Amino acid sequence: MPFAGIDVGSLTAQAVLIEDGHTPMLKSIGVRLLSHSIRVQPNPLDSARAVMGELLAEHGLGWDDITFCVSTGYGRDSVQAEGLANANVSEISCHGTGAHTLAPRVRTIIDIGGQDAKVIRVSEAGDLMNFVMNDKCAAGTGRFLEVMSRTLGVGFEELGPLAFRARGRIELSSRCSIFAETEVLHYLQKGVEKSDVAAGVTKSMADRLMALARRVGVEKEVMMTGGVAKNVAVRSELEKMLGLRMLSPSIDPQLVGAYGAAVLARRNGELE
Amino acid sequence: MGIDVGNLLTKVAILDGDVLVASGTMDTTGNVAREIDGLIARVLADAGLTPGDIGATAFTGGNAELADGRGVVEDAVTCVAAAGAYYLPDVNLVVDIGGQSITSILLDADGDVINFMRNDKCASGSGRFLEVMSQAVGVGVESISDAARGATGAVSISSQCGVFAESEVITHLNAGEEPAEIVAGLCDSVASIVAAQARRFTTGDCYTLTGGVTRVDAVVSRIKEKLDGTCHDFPYDPGLAACIGAALLAGLDDL
Repeated sequence: MPFAGIDVGSLTAQAVLIEDGHTPMLKSIGVRLLSHSIRVQPNPLDSARAVMGELLAEHGLGWDDITFCVSTGYGRDSVQAEGLANANVSEISCHGTGAHTLAPRVRTIIDIGGQDAKVIRVSEAGDLMNFVMNDKCAAGTGRFLEVMSRTLGVGFEELGPLAFRARGRIELSSRCSIFAETEVLHYLQKGVEKSDVAAGVTKSMADRLMALARRVGVEKEVMMTGGVAKNVAVRSELEKMLGLRMLSPSIDPQLVGAYGAAVLARRNGELE
Repeated sequence: MGIDVGNLLTKVAILDGDVLVASGTMDTTGNVAREIDGLIARVLADAGLTPGDIGATAFTGGNAELADGRGVVEDAVTCVAAAGAYYLPDVNLVVDIGGQSITSILLDADGDVINFMRNDKCASGSGRFLEVMSQAVGVGVESISDAARGATGAVSISSQCGVFAESEVITHLNAGEEPAEIVAGLCDSVASIVAAQARRFTTGDCYTLTGGVTRVDAVVSRIKEKLDGTCHDFPYDPGLAACIGAALLAGLDDL
């Protein structure tokens, strides 16, 4: 009987089911893992119902087959109140647990979501020690990169590879995403290479994340999670600034929160 | 003559003594250095003057370096303070809401600047913020006050960040909220952001409001509700305060 995690974010929602066994290609995680991701709907309850419903249906399962489910992310309490989950846990704890379960050596998790960025410190045992979060300003979040890729006229996934190819790099003087948008337009109008602008955008993103990380301190090993972890240029710039190589989660970095929720569901379920 | 090359708008004012005789405004574009001559010529023609009639010229604003060699450059805070203090001697606080900045300037009894606070790092509450938001709602910046007047309530906007607030506005529109009520909520939001900064100089006496955003009555009336003390209205278009101040300072230097 599977244990479940539902993570409703600002842009996407993830559902994870884990049970004994092995996931083909992912033997290292030691469980059978099923997952599904959707774009969010305005109401977090609808997102939770859809993402888990579709995952269950895909594998011929029903809601009754879930032993214990933990919700996290936006509206995690209402998701539980609606009966879609048995418990709800903060996204900080879920990301910490998810990352630590995947790599017990991890002590610092840099998680960048669609509308926030967090740096989470965990102990050797995986307990939450401290964290910092920015959810007030788009700078340093996935939204900043989204606005910038739209301004550059490239897809969100293309931004990293584009910056990686750059020969030069512009300096963005504005942290504010709205002012930076105007600045980027001016550079493009002047005929500056898109790749050089993308490199400047990457540097600005990494600067914001470093400022956040410094507030809580960085201890090895470091893992980056969330959608932005897939951006190779941000990742490599951050590694350069930190002076270390970061761990890569063995699952999709966007699934780490939902995976942590499922791990907590299993612990809870086994206690009962 | 005073010329304010702002981040969004470029403004020109010609004073005769301390009386505004002509003024003009255009968008600040990448070609502002060339286009500014056309604006100056138009303003001179309106006043029935020729370039030879101008005693002295001062530039100010975020892009004043474009002036290169055409006149002195005065700091924007100094210009706004000079204009406020000159026309409104009782005022000890000038709150300027420009295209990309909010500035609160504390003045002493002589009208000299004691201290100022400025946010030009973040779009929150600035003219650019209002512009992005009104675009998202589909109401032109010039129609904001009319739209807000028709509102029966106000949708509260929780994000201060322009990017997040834009998403919030779109979510409200999709949820079927009335555009007028969203606009009213945005005006509340801008007024709160401005008042939060101004209140850090707790004067409680007389203040004035300047800068392009103060052309939007719906924002001005809400700021007045939130701030203690009496607002003395700037005698001319408050969006011209910086270039009028520059012209006043140019005149002083010329004596």
